[in-house]
Amino acid sequence: MLEVRDLAKRYGDVIALDGATFSAEPGRIVGFLGPNGAGKTTTMRAVFGLIRPDRGEVRWRGAPVGPNERARFGYMPEERGLYPKMKVGEQLAYVAELSGLTRADAKGSVGQWLDRLGLGERANARLEELSHGNQQRVQLAAALVHDPELVVLDEPFSGLDPIGVASLAELLGQTAANGVAVVFSSHQLDLVEDVCQDVVIIDHGRIVVDGVVEELKAAAPRRSLQVDVDGEPWVPVLPSGTVTSKHDGEVRVLVDASVDLDEVLMYARKDGEVTRFTYEPPSLTDLFLEAVSAGRGAG
Amino acid sequence: MSIRRVRLVARREWNQRVRSTAFRISTLLSAAIVVALIAVPQMYGGGVTHTRTVGLVGESSSQVAGLLEASGERAALPVTARTFQDEHAADRALRSGDVDVLLVDRQSLVWKAEADGQLATIVASAVQAAELQRAIEHGGLSPDQQRLLRPPQLASRSLEPVSGERPAREGLAVIGLLLLFLAISVYGSSLLVGVVEEKSSRVVEVLLSRLKPTELLWGKIAGIGVVGLAQFAIVAATALITLQLSHDTQAPATTPATIGWTVFWFVLGFGFYAVLYGAAGSLVSRQEDAQSMTLPIGAVLLVGYLFSLEAIQSPDGVVALIGSFLPPTAPMVMIVRIASGAVPWWQIVLSALLMIGTTFAMVSLAGRVYTGAVLRVGRRVKLAEAWRGAEL
Repeated sequence: MLEVRDLAKRYGDVIALDGATFSAEPGRIVGFLGPNGAGKTTTMRAVFGLIRPDRGEVRWRGAPVGPNERARFGYMPEERGLYPKMKVGEQLAYVAELSGLTRADAKGSVGQWLDRLGLGERANARLEELSHGNQQRVQLAAALVHDPELVVLDEPFSGLDPIGVASLAELLGQTAANGVAVVFSSHQLDLVEDVCQDVVIIDHGRIVVDGVVEELKAAAPRRSLQVDVDGEPWVPVLPSGTVTSKHDGEVRVLVDASVDLDEVLMYARKDGEVTRFTYEPPSLTDLFLEAVSAGRGAG
Repeated sequence: MSIRRVRLVARREWNQRVRSTAFRISTLLSAAIVVALIAVPQMYGGGVTHTRTVGLVGESSSQVAGLLEASGERAALPVTARTFQDEHAADRALRSGDVDVLLVDRQSLVWKAEADGQLATIVASAVQAAELQRAIEHGGLSPDQQRLLRPPQLASRSLEPVSGERPAREGLAVIGLLLLFLAISVYGSSLLVGVVEEKSSRVVEVLLSRLKPTELLWGKIAGIGVVGLAQFAIVAATALITLQLSHDTQAPATTPATIGWTVFWFVLGFGFYAVLYGAAGSLVSRQEDAQSMTLPIGAVLLVGYLFSLEAIQSPDGVVALIGSFLPPTAPMVMIVRIASGAVPWWQIVLSALLMIGTTFAMVSLAGRVYTGAVLRVGRRVKLAEAWRGAEL
């Protein structure tokens, strides 16, 4: 299990991390979410010893993380980068060897990963000769080629088309199913809602939401309601109050979980023909906004 | 510090660089230049040791032959004589290049094409000496008068031991110095560019999640250093083979020693400067900025070069002595001093130890700058920021 404990980091006047604490377990996918600048990359860099936090520590299987532990970690930084002029196969073998694999094992693993990612034919091509999508795949392979026990991916979904998102999600699912602890970050909360089992939401260097996605949604005090009447968005007037959010022309209303749906539907029918009526747990964005506004209200 | 990871980094540098077109072209070009430097002067007959042959035809006695050789010796131009009975045979020898000039009846010179002024003077003075000798012997002069007419025999001595090879040895040392200067600046800049490339392509973050910054820096220095040595070995071997094949130029006996010393001081000098180049490279993220970072280091290197030029003039002077113990200048000054004469062994040992000590001390300083700066992408990192940023 990866444990991030009370990490704090300050750059001059900017507080990047302010006591971040969470954990990631083998066989599960953690979505490490939050807006840009919330402290996601700083946290990940601290896990890999790329920065030293002012306070706090990172532990793996109960012990502080050092070079030997990190050899069993895989990392895909937000800023993608490999050697543009180096052959793909050699490049992956090189990083695998740096992580401690023997030359023979590295070659074997590279062959398997390239085949798995559909790049078996391109092992001798230079990285710069590959398409953008294939370069992304090689980058991913670089994080996975040494069969790590923990994989940390910084914004792996950014820049991917829907098909790319789906295939990466599938790959991460398979990796976790093999007993690997997977942590990925994203600032697009809704995009990755279905990918992760656990979610850690960070804002201004602090963890504001942490838990199992389904449990968090079920336990949320509000529900998401979308009603259209005569094809137009319709907002109920309720004694418990509502929070309205508009997104891509859609209007969603957060209502109290105890609301009487029959009553709401009845009011809606009075105004015309109901063309849409959805009632579901809140999205991660909703959870995040709730947590942030609650945190600010309390502070 | 893991030696295994340093070796992996070095191996990658070696593989990528040796296979590159740039390496092949620059090696071929250097070898070609060396061959040209050795072979071209010979083709134009400029070699000092090229022996001239004078063909004697007709009424040229064997007396002239002996005088020709003596006369040539005085002019530092080896001359031999060959007597022909038959004018046609002499003609053929001249046309085929076996003889350089024909002296006919002690009166006229026949050349194949252009006249060689120096050789003509030597032949003329030999003929004059022969005429003079005959006049002395047959002129009925008293022994005193005869003695007065003979050229005086001046005794000659030198203050310092004379080695016929001295100019050649110094020339070799200058070549070694130039190679060292070029190799350090070329491979040092190449290291700097490599560091900047890793920053600009962002691969550095992937690497540093797997190894320490100092491991990466040492690996790059070792890898590029070995590439430099390999290129030097190829060029030096080419030079030696060319010297062997060219029949009438001889390499000074100190050639292997000079090559050995050049390698020795390259290893120390490159190590010292490479640390500087590596740290400088970590401060910038763009290739456009890399050029400006090589300038200050190049300036220090140039100071070393100027010191060594002074050391050629006076190898035992104060400047040379000071330069021998300053790490930035020592490699270049020492190459020159060792080639041009005896340097006390303790000076060589002290100089080398000072360099090694300074280099290791600098690695911890430069390693800290490298560590603090190498992950900061974007604008140029200030030295002080890098220093504070490195807490690892």
